[in-house]
Amino acid sequence: MASSVDRTLIALADPTRRGVVELLRAGPRRAGELADALQMQKPAMTRHLRLLRESGLVFEDGLREDARVRVYRLRRAPFSALRKWLDEVEAFWSWQLDGFKEHAERTRGSTSARKRRRPGQPDKPHPRAP
Amino acid sequence: MSAGNAGNAENARVTTFVKVPPNDAFEVFTEEIDRWWRRGPRFRMAGGDASELCFEQDARGRRLVERMQATVHEIGRVLVWEPGQRLVFEWRGRNFAPGERTEVELRFEAFAEGTRVTLEHRGWDAIRGDHPARHGLQGRAFSALIGQHWAELMTAYRLYGGAAS
Repeated sequence: MASSVDRTLIALADPTRRGVVELLRAGPRRAGELADALQMQKPAMTRHLRLLRESGLVFEDGLREDARVRVYRLRRAPFSALRKWLDEVEAFWSWQLDGFKEHAERTRGSTSARKRRRPGQPDKPHPRAP
Repeated sequence: MSAGNAGNAENARVTTFVKVPPNDAFEVFTEEIDRWWRRGPRFRMAGGDASELCFEQDARGRRLVERMQATVHEIGRVLVWEPGQRLVFEWRGRNFAPGERTEVELRFEAFAEGTRVTLEHRGWDAIRGDHPARHGLQGRAFSALIGQHWAELMTAYRLYGGAAS
């Protein structure tokens, strides 16, 4: 599971491969179509597609209407695993930002709120270190 | 709270709204970070011990550090410092090798008599694949990177307060 997230991140670390993923979100495409859409030479696109296949993000199969036409499709699972992990990172930050919001609104939000502050707490933040 | 745009699918993104002007929001985020940053082992490297987080200035510019009793951990250098608008700093866990870093960007935008704060945590793809911070991401190593055992807690929090952000 962890290594699948790693592979997904590595695969997505390249703008061309991100472009491929974007295009495939709209629907299956042939390798040639992908190369054209991203203005890539076919051999370069072949290398990117191989990495994407190996990372499990895409797979190649025949078109439903005509099995002889080979197309690339997205695999859902790696994106779900990545999303799950990013959800945890976002949860961490959303917890932090909630603390930030609460503190900011309590200390700066309104004049009435200021009166509720503990005595001895400075009205302005500590001066910055030079 | 949203997941960023599709082109940045590998980035974490969180948005909140705070009822203070952008300059105040920026000031609170930076100068008062130690007052609102959660305490305890889930959120600080010092674990249960005392620590102080601060953006400080040194010869090379600004940086974000966590000061503990005997040590100082540099979380990262500040890359962009635009009061009231934008803040970008590096994010390094204690188990990161030199040169390995992720990046956190904050945008402060005036919005409906307050400020919309958008945070993006990116650059996970720059960490080598076998790095402990990335190995077993769903579990312990990620905890070592950012906190410990907070995932369940977060889920509960999201169910409770997710709509507010």
